This record gives sequence, structure tokens and C-alpha cells, in this order.
Amino acid sequence: MATASPSVFLLMVNGQVESAQFPEYDDLYCKYCFVYGQDWAPTAGLEEGISQITSKSQDVRQALVWNFPIDVTFKSTNPYGWPQIVLSVYGPDVFGNDVVRGYGAVHVPFSPGRHKRTIPMFVPESTSKLQKFTSWFMGRRPEYTDPKVVAQGEGREAQLRTPGHLHALPIVPSIHRLCSPGKVSTLVTASCSFACPAPA
Amino acid sequence: MAEVHVIGQIMGASGFSESSLFCKWGIHTGAAWKLLSGVREGQTQVDTPQIGDMAYWSHPIDLHFATKGLQGWPRLHFQVWSQDSFGRCQLAGYGFCHVPSSPGTHQLACPTWRPLGSWREQLARAFVGGGPQLLHGDTIYSGADRYRLHTAAGGTVHLEIGLLLRNFDRYGVEC
Repeated sequence: MATASPSVFLLMVNGQVESAQFPEYDDLYCKYCFVYGQDWAPTAGLEEGISQITSKSQDVRQALVWNFPIDVTFKSTNPYGWPQIVLSVYGPDVFGNDVVRGYGAVHVPFSPGRHKRTIPMFVPESTSKLQKFTSWFMGRRPEYTDPKVVAQGEGREAQLRTPGHLHALPIVPSIHRLCSPGKVSTLVTASCSFACPAPA
Repeated sequence: MAEVHVIGQIMGASGFSESSLFCKWGIHTGAAWKLLSGVREGQTQVDTPQIGDMAYWSHPIDLHFATKGLQGWPRLHFQVWSQDSFGRCQLAGYGFCHVPSSPGTHQLACPTWRPLGSWREQLARAFVGGGPQLLHGDTIYSGADRYRLHTAAGGTVHLEIGLLLRNFDRYGVEC
């Protein structure tokens, strides 16, 4: 072919959010969503989901198991903006309010086959001790209004300065840092098939 | 033009004596390379590990280069800093690694180093903080003038980088 027409390729992702390890927290549920560039579009399946609430097993493993299915197909013309899966884990605090326990993101694997990924989770934390105590007491922790910021590279250092996007008591504009409380393991099977439009 | 996609994450860092770390990263390429999409440099958030000693950033990297030549293959360079509770930043290490040249997913572990000063500066760093830093960032990824430095080891930066190459066979490059 003399001229290369833009070729569309499909990326099919099947898998599950398998389980989590959070030593300090229990009764958690997770939400997943996909973040992708402008050249990408989902063609089939669900790009967001909320899992069930799970409790730690009584045995020595202390496992939190969701076994929550992920099934989505994307189509694109450009690998830039390769989809990332963003996971947010929530659970009750001492007073019964639903608070965020961790955010994490990982790129969908590039090569076909079965891949297991363990995703470290982190949570925004205020550095001001007063704000930490009031947010613990009131049950309103710093959390992102849109979890998709976790998948972006720009502006992460700005989180240290502006509490703008964070749903927190705006008493003191404080520096927000992130502490990592747990890990989520995800089993993803990715298969990639190329479909080129037939030359005219 | 041949194209290279670098898609992955800066997973985190381990082995540093300081906690509360963040990383400033950048990518340096030769003159024949052109960045088509993505940001060439960035800074991660500050992470304070609760479990274990590894600080996790999971900072996404998504770059699309077009190139006319192999010279100046991209190099990722890092500056790891620690931030204390007063908000002061102290250098923890410099490091760099080349982007891999074979397609697929690669786990990279990049060792870091920091400049040691005189014994006075080392003592001051232990008590008050601070310490010498490089004036010119390109010493991190180039070998020129390194012989002037006396350095100590820092920890390791961990990356997972996936590489997609396009049109290299048109130019007779096998990868």
C-alpha cells in the first residue's frame, strides 16, 4: 500500500478486580473506571462499575475478595492515551460514614495474554494535625471529586498546595500528601486485534 | 519517520533513608527526536509509606516520539527529594536510565546517588538538612564532568515502562 490510511485497532480487556490487602480497614467496596486519551473510545462493555461490599475472611489470610468482573473493548487509531484503569476503594470509618480508603491506577497491559497486577493504593492526607483530627472526627476526609485525576501526570505536585478539588473542611489551606495504606490485585486479560479498513 | 511510544508508570522508590519522598522526572532525547504528544517532565506527589519502606507514586508516563535517527535514544532522569513536616525539601538522590529499546513491558530499577560535600557539609546535612545539589541538571544523564563529583548512594526508583515501536523496519532497524 502506497499510502498508510489511519488504521483502527481494537483492544479487548477482560478481567476482574480480584482482591485487596488493607491491614487496617474492613468492609470495603471498590469502584473502577477507565481513563483514556482523545483518540480512544469504548465500543462495548461497561467502562465503570461499583463492586459489592466485602469483609475480611476469618482465617489467617485476612483477604478481602471482590472477584468483580471487568469487560470492555476500546477502539483507537493511536497508542497515545492508552487506557488506564482507576480504582477507588471506600469503607466505613468508626462513626459509620463512608470514606475513601485508597486510589490507584495502572495502564491496561500492552501485550495479549494473562497479566496479574498489584496496584498500590494511596489516599490524600492533610499535613495539618488540626485538619487531620477534624476530618477524622467529622468523617469528611480529603477525597477527590473526580477520581480520574489519579490517572493524570500533570498537576500532581499541585496537590501539595491547593485543597481546591478536595472535599475537605476548608479550615486551613494545607499541604496534602499521600500515604499508602494498601494494595489491590487485579487480574487482567488483554487481547488486541487489528482491524484495518479495506483499501478502496 | 519512525515512532516510539513510551507508556508506563513511575511505580515508586525504595531503599531511601528518608520517608515522604517525591520525584521530579524528565526525559532527554537527541536532536533528531521530536515529541508529538505527552509532557516531557513532571513531578510526582509526596508519598509517606504506611506499610513497608517503599514509597509509591504510580505516576503515569505517556509519550509519543517521532525520530529520524537512533542517536540520542531517550533517557529518563529523576531527582528524588524528601519533604519534612515543615515543608522543607532535601535532595535524596539523582538517577537516570535509558528507555528500553525492545518493544514490550519492562521493569526497570534505577539506582540513585547524591553528591557528598566536605565533612562540614555532611555534618550540617545530618543536623540541619540541606546539602549540595547539582547546578546543571544535565550532569545526571551525561558522563562529561562526572569525574569532579564525590557521591554517595541513595535508594532505587522503580519503573514499569511499556514500549511500542512503529516503522522501524522501513529504515532497516530490527527490534
